[in-house]
Amino acid sequence: MLERRAGLVEAYLRELENDAKVLAEQYGGTELTTLYVGGGTPSFLRDHELVSLAGIIRTHFGWANLEATLEVNPGTVNTARAKLWRELGFTRASVGVQSTQDSVLKFLGRTHDAKQALLALETLLAAGFQVSSDAITAVPGQNVEQDLRTLGALGLEHISCYTLTIEEGTAFFRTGVKVRAEDEERSLELAESVLAEFGLARYEVSNHAKPGFESKHNIAYWQNRFYYGLGAGAAGHYPNLETETRDLSLEHQIIAHRRTNPHLSNWLTGERGEIEPVTRESFVTDALFSGLRLLSGVSLTDISTRAGLNASDFFAPQFEKLVSQGLLEFEGSTVRATTNGLWVLNQVISEFL
Amino acid sequence: MFEKIRNFSIIAHVDHGKSTLADRILELTGAMTDRDKREQTLDTLELERERGITIKATPVRLAYKADDGQEYALNLIDTPGHVDFNYEVSKSLAACEGVLLLVDASQGVEAQTIVNAYLAIDSNLEIIPVINKIDLPAADPEGAARELEEVIGIPADGAIFASAKSGIGVHEILEAIVKRIPPPSGKSSEPLKALIFDTVFDAYQGVIPFVRVLEGSIKRGDKVKMWNTGKVVEVDKVGIFRPALEVSEVLEAGEVGFFTAAIKDIHDAQVGDTVTGFARPTAEPFPGFKPAQPVVFSGLYPTDTAEYPKLREALEKLQLNDAALTFEPETSEALGFGFRCGFLGLLHAEVVQERLEREFDMDLIATAPSVIYKINLTDGSTYFLQNPSGLPTMDRVTTIEEPYIKLSIILPEEYVGNTMQLLVEKRGVMKDMQYIGKRVELHYEVPFGEVLYDFHDRLKSLSRGYASMDYEQIGYREGDLVKVGILVNGDIVDALAIICHKDKADPLGRKIVEKMAEVIPRQMFAVPIQAAIGGKIIARATVKAYRKDVLAKCYGGDISRKKKLLNKQKKGKARMKNIGTVEVPQEAFLAVLSSSE
Repeated sequence: MLERRAGLVEAYLRELENDAKVLAEQYGGTELTTLYVGGGTPSFLRDHELVSLAGIIRTHFGWANLEATLEVNPGTVNTARAKLWRELGFTRASVGVQSTQDSVLKFLGRTHDAKQALLALETLLAAGFQVSSDAITAVPGQNVEQDLRTLGALGLEHISCYTLTIEEGTAFFRTGVKVRAEDEERSLELAESVLAEFGLARYEVSNHAKPGFESKHNIAYWQNRFYYGLGAGAAGHYPNLETETRDLSLEHQIIAHRRTNPHLSNWLTGERGEIEPVTRESFVTDALFSGLRLLSGVSLTDISTRAGLNASDFFAPQFEKLVSQGLLEFEGSTVRATTNGLWVLNQVISEFL
Repeated sequence: MFEKIRNFSIIAHVDHGKSTLADRILELTGAMTDRDKREQTLDTLELERERGITIKATPVRLAYKADDGQEYALNLIDTPGHVDFNYEVSKSLAACEGVLLLVDASQGVEAQTIVNAYLAIDSNLEIIPVINKIDLPAADPEGAARELEEVIGIPADGAIFASAKSGIGVHEILEAIVKRIPPPSGKSSEPLKALIFDTVFDAYQGVIPFVRVLEGSIKRGDKVKMWNTGKVVEVDKVGIFRPALEVSEVLEAGEVGFFTAAIKDIHDAQVGDTVTGFARPTAEPFPGFKPAQPVVFSGLYPTDTAEYPKLREALEKLQLNDAALTFEPETSEALGFGFRCGFLGLLHAEVVQERLEREFDMDLIATAPSVIYKINLTDGSTYFLQNPSGLPTMDRVTTIEEPYIKLSIILPEEYVGNTMQLLVEKRGVMKDMQYIGKRVELHYEVPFGEVLYDFHDRLKSLSRGYASMDYEQIGYREGDLVKVGILVNGDIVDALAIICHKDKADPLGRKIVEKMAEVIPRQMFAVPIQAAIGGKIIARATVKAYRKDVLAKCYGGDISRKKKLLNKQKKGKARMKNIGTVEVPQEAFLAVLSSSE
C-alpha cells in the first residue's frame, strides 16, 4: 500500500515536470495522440494534484487528441470526481474491478468489494466515459462465467480478462497457490464466447471491445510504436536520434531505444533507468513479440519499413515452420496467429527470440 | 620414542560434535585452528571438500605436554562420516591404537555410534567414551553412558562428560588419550609394513598415500612395493602432517605420515593396501584389503550430446582423487552416449553428480541408481548386471540374484510399528530387536535395491527424523525379480528400465508413470507414459496436451522483461532431453526414487 508521506506527492509532481520537460525537448514536436495515466492508482491523487498532473502534460506535450485514459480504483470513484476527470480531458476510464465476487476479491487481497466495483462502473458510464474493466479469471473457486456476465451486462465498451498468473517472488508463489491449466483454458474460452454475447469481440489475447472501442493506446504498444514513459517505473520507447557511427551489419544497427525509469525512491532523486538499445533486428522481434497478440496480426510491410529490415526475408525459415505447423497464417503481407497459434503464442514467439 | 606417540581417532554419529571437539583439541594443543588447517591443506594439496561431508580424512600431528610433564605427539586421524565410506573408516581406525567414541548427551546412542564402535572393537582399539554436549538443557549424560554400557558393553564409569563447545572436559580427554590409549608397538628394525589409510592426488606430486607405519621404517630413496597391487616405486619424500605436509627424514614404526613417489594412477596405491620393502618384504600384509568396489550404478549422460568428450574428461579428473568411482562408456537409444558410473552408495553418487555440474559446468541426465544383479543364464553361465536395461529375455535366464544388506535402525519405540510395516513392504526379514532404554534397535536383512529407492526418506518421515540407520553388504540371494520397462509415447526408453520384485511391479510401475506424467511438462500433444513387463502393459498415465501457453499481459513496459522470461523458458527447454518429440526433464528419469507417500 502506498502511503501519503508528507511532501511525497509534491516531490513526485516536481520530478514528473522535470521528466516531461527533458523528454519534450528531446523528442517533442509531434502531436500527442493517446494518453494513459496508470501504473497503479493515479486516482490515489487528491483532486488538485491530478489537476496539476494534467497541467504538466498539457504544458509540455499538449493533450491527447484521440484517447485519454485514466486508470482508477473502484473505491475512489464518486460522481463529482468523475465529472472533474471528464473536465480535465479524460475520455476513457480503466477500472481495476478484477471480480464481482466478494470471495474472489478477498482471495486476491483487494480492498474493495463487489458492490463498490459495480457502483464505480455505473458512475463512470453515467459521466460519459468509455469504460474498461479489468477482470481476473482462473482464480481457484471463482465462478468465471458469472463474473463475465455481470460485467458484460453493464454495457461496458471494453473488458480485459487476465488469467491469474503466479509470479515468482509474490505471496501467492510463496504459499504455493497453483492455477489449474483446466481453469485457464476454460477461462479463455469463456471470455471469448460470453463477452461476444454482449457485443465485445476479442481483439487481443486478453482484451475484448465493442467495435471501434479497442484501446488505441495499447494498440500502439502492440504495434511497437514509439511512446513516452513518464514517472517512476514507467517505460518509454524512443527513436534513436543519433546517427549511427559504428560500422555494423544492417540488422545490428541501433534505430531506437527503450528506457525504463527506476523505482520511486531512485526516480525521485533524478535517476533515470538504463537505456536499452534497439537494433533493426530486435525492433522486428519486438514488433512480432507484441504484434502477434493482436487478432488482426502484424503488417510485415509496415514493420519492415519502420525497422529498415525486410522482416519476411529475415525470419523466412521461422515463418515457414510456423505456418507449416498451423500456428501462423498469412494474408498478403499480414501475418497473424491462427486460433491454435494464439493458444500457444509463447511457443510461436520463442521461435523469433 | 614410541612411549610418546598416541595415534587416535574420533568416531561419532553425525552432528554429535566431532568437528567441534577436534577444533577444541587443536586449540588446546596450540595447533592451528581448523579453519587455518583447511585452508592450508587446500593450498598444499588442492584437496577438495564438499559441503561439510568429509570424504577425505585429514590427519594432524599435535604436540601435547601432559600433566606428567612429558611431551607427547598425538596423531589425530579423521574419519569420513557416512556409511557409504565404512571401508575407509575401518582403515583409518586400523591406523590407530584408540578412539574417542563421542555420544551426544541429549540424543544418546545412534546407529552410526554402534557401527563405528564395533569397527573400533574389531580393530582391538582402546575406546574412550565421551559424552558430549552435557551443558544442553535436554542432556542426560548418565543415561547416554548407561546406553553405551547396555548396548555396546563399554563400561559407563569410564565415560568422560564433556562439552566440546564450551571446553568442559577437554583437558580430561587429552589426559585420557595419553594415559589410556597404549603407545604403538612394532619395531623399526623389522621389514617395512605400512598401512595406507587414505590417499590424495596432487597435480605435481601424483598420488600421495597417507600411511601408518606398523613395522620397519620408510625414508627417501627406499624402493617399496604395494602388496596387493604389486606396484613398485621409489620413495621421493616422507613427512608428517602439521597438518600441512612437512617433509621429514624418516617415518619409524608407530608413526603416521605420508610419502610421495610419483605415483600416477590412484589404483596403484589404494586404501587398505600394505606398503612393504621391495628387497626385504614383510612376512604377511595387513589383512582385509578390498579394492574400492562400487555397489551402486547409474548412467550419466550429457544433455547436449556434443559434450560427451567433456564429460569423459571431467570423470577422468574426478577419478584421480577417487579410486571408488568407476565409469565405462554406455550407449542408450534414448539418451545417446554417456557413461555407466559406479559409486560406493547414493551419497557418493550425488556428490559426484553435483561436482560434475558445479565444478565442470556439465548439464547431466542421471538415470535411476541400480544395484548389481547376478544373472544366471540357462546355458549355465553367470554374470553381473549393472544396467537393468541389459537384462536378457526371461527365456534365457534361470534365476536372478540380488544383493542383500544387514540393516540396523535405532528409533524411539513409538515408531517401531510403522517402521516394521515399511520394512515388510521392502521385503525385509527381521533378525533381531533390542531395547535400548526407551528406544529400539532393529536388525533386518533387506534387499539393497529396496533401500536405494524411497526407503531413507520414508523412514525419516515416519519417525519424524528420530530414526538413524546403518548397513553393511551381506552377499547375494535369489529373488523373484522382473524387469519393468517404461514407454514414452509408445517407445520403450531403455534408460528408464528397472528391476524389481514381481509382486511390486504393478504398484511401482504405477508410481513411476504417474510421477513422470506429473513432472513432464505438458507438450503440444498428449503423451502416453506406460510401464510394461515384457509386452504386457501394467500401468499407464498421460501427459496432457497443453492448450494454453500464452502470457496473460504484455504492455509497453513489459516487453523487455517478458522477452527475458521467454528466453529463460527457452533455455530451460534446451536442458531437457528430447525422447522422440517429447521433452523430458531430469526429474522424470528419477521418478522411481520419489517417495510414494
